[in-house]
Amino acid sequence: MTRTSWLIPALLIASVLAMFGACLLGSTPMSPARVLSAFLGGTDAADRLVVWQIRLPRALAAYLVGAALGISGAALQGLLRNPLAEPGVLGVSASASLAATFSLYYGLAAVSPWVLPMAAMFGALAATSLIAIAAIRTQSVVTLILIGVGLSSFAGAAMSLLMNLAPNPFSLSDMINWMLGSVANRSFREIGFSVPFILAGAAILLASRRGLSALTLGEEAASGIGLDLRRQRILTVLGAGLATGGSVALGGAIGFVGIVAPHIIRPFVGHDAARSLIPSAMLAGLILVLADIGVRILPSTNELKLGVVAALIGAPAFVWIAMRRRAIND
Amino acid sequence: MTEIIVKNLGLTKDGATLLEGAGFTLRPGQLIALLGPNGAGKTSLIRTTLGMEKRCSGTVNLGGTDSESLSPMERARRVAYLPQQRPLAWPNSVRDVVALGRFAYGAAPGRLNPKDAKAVDTAIELCDLTELTTRHTDTLSGGELARVHCARAFAAEAPLLIADEPVAALDPRQQFRIMNIIQAYVDRGGGALVVLHDIPLAAKYASHLIWMQEGRIAAEGPPEQTLTAQRMADIYGVRARIDGRKVEIEGAI
Repeated sequence: MTRTSWLIPALLIASVLAMFGACLLGSTPMSPARVLSAFLGGTDAADRLVVWQIRLPRALAAYLVGAALGISGAALQGLLRNPLAEPGVLGVSASASLAATFSLYYGLAAVSPWVLPMAAMFGALAATSLIAIAAIRTQSVVTLILIGVGLSSFAGAAMSLLMNLAPNPFSLSDMINWMLGSVANRSFREIGFSVPFILAGAAILLASRRGLSALTLGEEAASGIGLDLRRQRILTVLGAGLATGGSVALGGAIGFVGIVAPHIIRPFVGHDAARSLIPSAMLAGLILVLADIGVRILPSTNELKLGVVAALIGAPAFVWIAMRRRAIND
Repeated sequence: MTEIIVKNLGLTKDGATLLEGAGFTLRPGQLIALLGPNGAGKTSLIRTTLGMEKRCSGTVNLGGTDSESLSPMERARRVAYLPQQRPLAWPNSVRDVVALGRFAYGAAPGRLNPKDAKAVDTAIELCDLTELTTRHTDTLSGGELARVHCARAFAAEAPLLIADEPVAALDPRQQFRIMNIIQAYVDRGGGALVVLHDIPLAAKYASHLIWMQEGRIAAEGPPEQTLTAQRMADIYGVRARIDGRKVEIEGAI
């Protein structure tokens, strides 16, 4: 059996270590002892502030964004039976960040803190539904990815348009954050507004994961062994849309993590989409925490965007997976 | 006793009549070969019977219930279905693919209760896959894959089996192996409806033949009664010499 029982514990330990590491590193390096004492409510107020208000929320935001993208990627890959499916590639992230930017630009986001995540969610669900409808009509995953390219380009163009119209440099930099993806300066408050959506999406994906295993047989045979295809499509699209929307609301559009993590996990779980959901989420979260540490410690005048680093690692991996892929179902 | 009783089935799609007045019965202990040229409506008949395609007229009684009112899970517990297209999206292990046959009982690969595990092991044994259980499906030959799909269907332990061209693209030995496996399933009390294009193979194994042409059932009955040179000419447009259950196809007319 290829199923390995150490996979999840190992990922858990690595995740905790990475989060702890993220609290150590930064413009003022802190010793593990100082971080630990700050965690436990130690005496130094400045240390507590740095750890609890700056570094921990940021690391947690990176982990949540990654986990949401990882689980959505793994689920979409299972649904579409293709290792290249992912919220970023399918244009879901870009559509979500377009909707988020739109709400920022028109000042809707100022009405209520829930407006921005809701807008991101709306964009994500609209794009995911479009992809799912196309998936019913066409068996070719290449078509779906091309639709994703179209969606991404459209969202990119619409965002450029918004930027050109941006009334002040402040909203311009806000938009760039959403377009490129970043978890800088996130607080527990912002996390709180995204987490319900991410959790709801993840819960839906986990509850319906059994059907993803069945889909390896193709839709006809999966239906033959008892899968309700329509229901499975709706649940996976809804779950992935909610989780991706929540992640975009928190960190903007970050691509390719949702491809890389499930790809690494798959051989460890017997290539079973259902069993890849949780480990993929953990690994994707871990990757983003590590990437964000990289963003913070790289000596540069303007801080790099997390989404840029993720794409620098992820895009070559995407090309590599695509080139090695044999034509199985397209 | 679970049986399928199909009466007067009709299916029209985009103005084309795919099925018209088709009817048959599948009972345990029967091995029915569904014959007919490409486009005769064999796959349409199967999918409409299972309720996967909405029929335009007629009735389908699947073990006492209308097949269209059964949930996919309930249907899967009554009849195992092996479709014509059998893609495997991921290189799962053989045992995991066979385990998917237990889906209708709430099981999943890596999550089998003792009863599910036993059904999977039995199916693996019946299809002669014991040596291959941990192999990944992308390393298997066509014949081995065909046996994996059969085992997947048998793991459901459904009283009926519908298989659409289970021996397509297999060498003669593998064709016999698959047909022997299906024959053994029928001998154990199952009922099977199998689409075949190999008439000699159908004549050798089937207890009944259903001959389809242009969406209608042209003839139905035991091979001894319905397999004639005239029928081969009418349905397939070939010249054939028939001697009991022996068939020799000489060429196109």
